[in-house]
Order: sequence, then C-alpha cells, then structure tokens
Amino acid sequence: MEGSLFLPDALSETAKEIDGLFYILTGIAVVIFLLVWMLLLIFLVRYRRKHPTKEGLRLYGNTRLEIIWTVIPALILVVLGIYSAQMVYALQKPPADAYEIQVTASKWKWEFTYPDGPNGGFTTLNDLRLPAGKPILFRITSKDVIHSFWVPELRIKMDAVPGRETRVWVKPLKEEGKFKVLCAEYCGTAHANMVSDALVMKEEHFGKWVASGGKEDPSGQPLDGKQLAQQFGCLACHAIDGRELAGPSWKGIYGTERELADGSKVKVDDEYLKESIVNPNAKVVKGYGPAMPAYPQLSDAQLQALVDYIKSLK
Amino acid sequence: MEAAHRSSFLREWILTVDHKKIGILYGITSLVFLFLGGLAALVIRTELFRPGQDVVTPDTFNQLFTMHGTIMIFGFVIPMLTGAFANYLVPIMIGARDMAFPRMNALSYWLFLLGGLVLLSSFFIGQMPDVGWTAYPPYSIESKGLGLDLWVTSVHILGLSSILGAINVIVTIFNLRAPGMTFSRLPLFVWSSLATAFIQLFGVPALGGAVTTLLLDKHAGTIFYNVAAGGDPMLYQHLFWFYSHPAVYVMILPAMGIVSEIIPVFARKPIFGYKAVAYSSLTIALLAFFVWAHHMFVAGMQLSAGIPFMVTSMIIAVPSAIKVFNWLATLYRGQIDFKTPMLFATLGFVGLFTIGGLSGLYLANVPVDLHLHDTYFVVAHFHYVLFGGSLMAILAGLYFWFPKAFGRMYNETLGKWTFALFFIGVNLTFFPMHFAGMLNMPRRYFDYSYDPSLAWLNQISTIGAYITGVAAVLLAANLVVSAVRGAKASANPWGALTLEWQTSSPPPHENFEEIPVVTSGPYEYGEPETPRKRFKYGQTVGGETISG
Ligand code: HEM
Ligand SMILES: [Cu+2]
Repeated sequence: MEGSLFLPDALSETAKEIDGLFYILTGIAVVIFLLVWMLLLIFLVRYRRKHPTKEGLRLYGNTRLEIIWTVIPALILVVLGIYSAQMVYALQKPPADAYEIQVTASKWKWEFTYPDGPNGGFTTLNDLRLPAGKPILFRITSKDVIHSFWVPELRIKMDAVPGRETRVWVKPLKEEGKFKVLCAEYCGTAHANMVSDALVMKEEHFGKWVASGGKEDPSGQPLDGKQLAQQFGCLACHAIDGRELAGPSWKGIYGTERELADGSKVKVDDEYLKESIVNPNAKVVKGYGPAMPAYPQLSDAQLQALVDYIKSLK
Repeated sequence: MEAAHRSSFLREWILTVDHKKIGILYGITSLVFLFLGGLAALVIRTELFRPGQDVVTPDTFNQLFTMHGTIMIFGFVIPMLTGAFANYLVPIMIGARDMAFPRMNALSYWLFLLGGLVLLSSFFIGQMPDVGWTAYPPYSIESKGLGLDLWVTSVHILGLSSILGAINVIVTIFNLRAPGMTFSRLPLFVWSSLATAFIQLFGVPALGGAVTTLLLDKHAGTIFYNVAAGGDPMLYQHLFWFYSHPAVYVMILPAMGIVSEIIPVFARKPIFGYKAVAYSSLTIALLAFFVWAHHMFVAGMQLSAGIPFMVTSMIIAVPSAIKVFNWLATLYRGQIDFKTPMLFATLGFVGLFTIGGLSGLYLANVPVDLHLHDTYFVVAHFHYVLFGGSLMAILAGLYFWFPKAFGRMYNETLGKWTFALFFIGVNLTFFPMHFAGMLNMPRRYFDYSYDPSLAWLNQISTIGAYITGVAAVLLAANLVVSAVRGAKASANPWGALTLEWQTSSPPPHENFEEIPVVTSGPYEYGEPETPRKRFKYGQTVGGETISG
C-alpha cells in the first residue's frame, strides 16, 4: 500500500469527510505548534542570561492578554465541536436502503454473512467484499471477547462486543483492489494476525459473486493455497519452515505418521488434513492443546487448495 | 561495629517516618521500576524492528506490553510524582516539619513497595499478566494462570497506598502551613499536588471496584461481564476510565507543578499569571471526571452519546493551553540560564507536551477518532504527554532538587548530554508512530506483516528507543556517582525563593531550625533588587543567615 505518509486512500464519501476534518485539525495544530515552538525558541535565544547576577523583568501577569488566550482557543473549539457534532449524527444514521452485512468476530478471524445467495445467505471467512456505490450497513458482534472492526481505507472502526450488536455504515465509491480489515481491540495471542482481506467490486461482479454463494471468484483464477493460508490466518500458528509456533509446523509433515494426544497414531494424508481443518479437535497431535479454531465454512475447492499447499512444503 | 552500622541503617531508612527519607525511598524505588519498564519497552521495540516474529513469542509480547504499561503508570509516574516529589517537597515548601501523619506516610511507601513486588512476582513465577494495562473483560477474565490475580492484587495494594498518600497531602496542606503561608502564597507545585490528591481520593475507589469485579467474575462465579447470563462488558470500561482518565491528570498536574517551579528560577522572573496557573490545576482536576467516555467512542455506545464527552474533552484542553501560554510568557524578557533542569522543563516539557496536547484534540473528535482510536496514533499521543510531558518534568525535577536532597551537585555537562539524547530519542521513537497509526497500524500488535511497508517507520522508532535507553543509563550514572562524589552544594545553588531553598542542603531532620515566617510570594524575582533582599522567611535557617 503506497498511499501518502498521512492517510491511506479514502474509499468512501464519509472517509473523505473525515479526512476533511482531519486536515482542519491539522491546520489548527500546525499553527499552534509553530506558534509555541517559535516563541519558545525565540525567547530562549533572545533572553539568554548575559550576566550571572542579572534579573529578569518584574512582570506578574496581564489580565487582558490572559483573557484573550483563554477565549480564542475556547471559541475555536466551540466551532469545531458544533461542526463535528453534525457529522456524528450523519455517521450514525444509515440510509434506509442499506445492504446489510453481518460481521462476526472471534479469536482470531472475521466472518462475513451476506443476506442473499443460493441458500438464502452465506458466510465467508476473512474475505469481505463490498459492492461499489451502494450504502452498506455492518451489523457487528463477537462470539468471544471484544474485538474491533477497523477498515482504514473506509475510516470506520467499531468494537465487536459479545452479546451486543454494534453498527456502522459506509458507501464505498468505486471498485478498488485488495485492502485489509484489522482487529483494533486487543484480543490475545494472535491479535495481530486477525486480518481479513477486503475488496470493493463493481456492482454486477458483486451480484455474480453473491449468486455463487461466495464460492466462485468472478476473475476465474485458480485458488492459491498459500494465499488462502495467509487469508485464513493459518500461518499465525503454523510455521512453514519447521519452527514451532502455537501449532505444529507444516514443513514436511505430509505422508509422515503422527502421534495423537490419546497415544494412537495417524498418517498425514488428504483426508486427515481436511478433517483437521474442518474439525481440528477430532484428532489433536500430542503436545498441543485444542487451540485451533474450526473452519467449517471452507468450500471443497478451498480445502483441496490448502492441502495441496501443505503437500508442497517439503 | 558492623551490627551498629546495620542497626543505624535500619533505623535511618527502614523505620523512618521522615517525609524526606520516605520521599527518597519512593524516588529510588520508582526509578528502579522506570528501568524495568524501560527494559520491557526495548524488547517490544526490538520485536517490532521488522515485520514478522523475531525475538519473542506473541504471548510473551502481550505480557511485556502489559507489564510495561502497568509498571510505568502505577510503578513509576504516579508514585514518583505523588510519592517522591510530593512527599519530599510539600512539607518543606509550606514550611512544615513533616507530613500530617508521618507513620501513615511510611505505610504508604511500604504498601507501594509491596504492590510493586506483587506485580514483579508474576515475572519470577513465569505467569505475567497479558491483559493490557486496561484489563478489559471478558478477555481478562478468560486469561489463564495467575497473571490477572497478581495484577488485580497489585492494583489494589497500590491503590490503597495512593489513597493514604492523598489524605496525607490534603491534610498537610490544609493544616500545617507556616505562619504567613496563605493559599495565594503556595508554590504552584503545592497547588498541583493538592488538586492531584483530590483526584486520587475520589478516583481510586472506582478503579478498586472495577478490578474487584474482574476477580469476582473469574473466581466467584458472578456475572458482571458474563454475556450469556446478561452481564455487560462495557460496565467495566466505564468504571475503569472513570478512574483512569483522571489518572492521566494525576500524571500530568504535578509535572506541570514542577515546571512552574523551575521556569521562574532560571528565567529570574515571577511566574506569569500565578492565579491562572493555580486555578487551571483545580479546573483540570474537576473536569477530568467528566471526560472518561472519550476512550469509548467506538466501544458500542451510540456515536452521538460521545458528543458530550467530545465537548468536555475539548474544554479540558483550554486550561492546559493556558498553562503553556503562561510558561511562555514567563520566559519573555527573562534572564534565562540553561541549566539541565531548565532544558528539560522548556524544550523538553513545554515543547513536547504541546505536541501531545494537540494530538489529543484529534482523538477527542468523534469522527476522527473513528479512524484513530486504538492505533499507534494513540500510542504516540500518550507518550508525548507521558514521556514528553510527565517524564521530562520528572527529570527536570530530579536534577533541580538533587542538590537539595543529597547536598551535592550533579554533573552539568553530562546532564546536558543526557537531555540531548532524551530529546532526540523521544522524538525519533514517538513521532513516526503518529504516521503508523494514521496509515494502518493498530496498537498492541506484535507483527505487521500484513503491511511490510510499515517497517521503516517502526525502524526509526526502535532506533529512537535505543537512544533513549542510552540516555537513561547516563542519567543513572550521573545521579549515582554525583550522590557520592559530586561537588558540595550550597543551601541555595540556584538562588531560588521557595522555602525548601531557605534551609540547608540536605535539610536538617525537621526541615527548619525555626519555622519560617512567610512575608511574600514564592516567585518574587525581577529587577532591580536581588531576590534575597525581598525575603524574610525566618531568622537563622539551616545555619545560614538570611538577612531580612
Ligand atoms: C489536551 C488534552 C488532552 C486531550 C484532549 C486528550 C484526549 C485523549 C483521548 C480522546 C484519548 C483516547 C484516544 C482513543 O483511545 O482513541 C486519549 C488517550 C490517552 N491519553 Fe489523552 N488527552 C489529553 C491530554 C492527556 C494528558 C495530559 C495525558 C497524561 C499525562 C494523557 C494520557 C493519555 C493516555 C495514557 C491515553 C491512552 C489510554 C489508553 O488507551 O491506554 N492525555 N487522550
Ligand atoms: Cu482520557
């Protein structure tokens, strides 16, 4: 992501408005910063002590000056407050026709549930896709601890709180390649790996994608196991170079025999690997706790791509 | 011989109820915590030098930032300002012989040490808390091991210590002022300590309640935060910030007090707008209790419910701004002497605190905070106020009152070098964090491989952190060596006018041979008279005659 040094690309109208406010604040901040630092430096240089016993000017205060520098910042802040408050109301009121996406956070993944599709709705894992030009309402919740749904390019952030539904809405402007959803509320070991892909699609592409239940990538690319492993956060716990993280390394495990927690043995083949992804606690390798989340929502094609990737790690 | 020596050490330090010795104990202990917290920070910064996982596991990383935050706030800044400085200075500055309750004062210190040790014990048993210094449930309740239990126990003990300390400061200031020491003649550090003590007294119980509920939920099966049973995790956040926002002012008001003492002395000018500075402290202390939910704009309350808190947060910036303008005006047409404390107070505190105050305006703004909340921008913000602000003032104060407390001078050249390194280090470390946060880096991440282009910003930060580490070593070397071998200090090496400088260095057991009679304010500098002539603090004080 190149972007500027200041802010990432702004992909929605709201994001642009927030940026506008950001730059107004920056203008004010820079002026005050320069004022303070210039006075500081000028005074420090200009009034250096010339003689050890010299005394400064006997000046206790100046009521007029003090009133001025109390009232001016206060006025600036009042104006700023009124202006920002209006924006807050706009931000919290979604248009009536907004397309609703359910966001479910859990340790350490994002699930997005779309209201339509082949079987009346489907869920994707760490894969958020938005139609360009349509208002979208996110209904956010969590299955375990507090997480926070942050999309820097959309300038929105909202905590995912268990037992509650929080909401935030946006209207993405145009088709835009990959960006990220990040978790902004500390949630434990793999907090930093709770990252989802996000994408704004042309409305008709989005329609096709939804109609396929999220399984079919309209671009028709073959699935890439390595990319899926990153996208689903597998690599947070599984190294591919033999190091032991929270889970066993994948390097060279295909075809070997593993000892399970209950003492029995199992051969690492396609079937075992698929089971371990869909239902990881069925067979836990000796020495590891039942830490891995289940991934029941993966398609067969995605599962096979992951298994092929693991196979390829010699 | 040996035994006699040991027993006098016991009597002099362990059993002491002298506020000056207790202050020094507080100071030394907090400095040890500063170094421990600093080590944790260096490991954190080393991990973040590159994307990916390098030197520690994710779990260790999470423990380290929890320990770092907790140690710095509860083990260093708060006890240093309200324990060390307030203890040492408040009684002497108001012309008292000691605190109102000397034995309770000693108890405060020993509770502080105990609380600190309980926290550190988690390191030795290998079960450090990993809940963040905020310990939000339900995450904190689910955490394994003894980490949370030790953390809560420690916070309780430290809180008790704070409450006792606050009572002592309040009663001392109200009851033990010397004759003639009216409220309008109180040094500004005393005003700020008074405001701070009130914050502690009213705020700490909320914190105690909040952390207790965590333990109850974890061990006693209560359901404060158990969602399945109808509990609500946001209750904790309200309780926590009801204390912890005012706590950030506990960490800055005394620092502002220190700076208000130092600038007039080295500028040889009265403080500009004494009343405004004093009342700003009280205003801030009061307003501090009405801004807490600005930490929770996106926590799940309605966005518009944030508006009143946005407004109060912006209002509280005004008294802070007033103080900055007053300090600047105090420099105007002064005769400024750049001793180490003055460097830390002006370029250090005034300059850097301003940056932290300005970034606070962004965060107080609901729409902008939607983007910036819980990112590295917030980390930059609170380090500019806490490191650029509180710590710079603490360092200014350490150098300034060192000759008083130890009767010896620190090394001036080394002091200036230390300042330069701290100044460079702090800015290199924390300025780039604004940009990392504005782009896409959340706080409390041990890895940023989702965007390796964040690396260069992080690398500058890490290098800055090492420079700060070097500066800290120079600081320690200067203080330790000078305490033993420094040149002898006179009673009043800076020609200051507050009462602590009117007695010997170090002061005698009960501070003054004779309680001084105060006849004028604390900052009566300025042409044409020399300051000493304007003072009639007492007759013979500390072996030196001060002519009236
Ligand atoms: C001009 C005055 C200030 C304003 C308007 C301000 C505003 C804010 C806001 C809105 C936040 C929450 C940011 C977020 O979580 O998104 C924050 C965080 C913080 N502020 Fe300030 N602040 C000011 C001064 C200070 C001072 C004087 C201190 C301490 C000496 C301080 C220390 C902190 C700390 C420690 C946090 C982070 C707490 C945490 O989340 O762990 N601030 N500030
Ligand atoms: Cu706050």
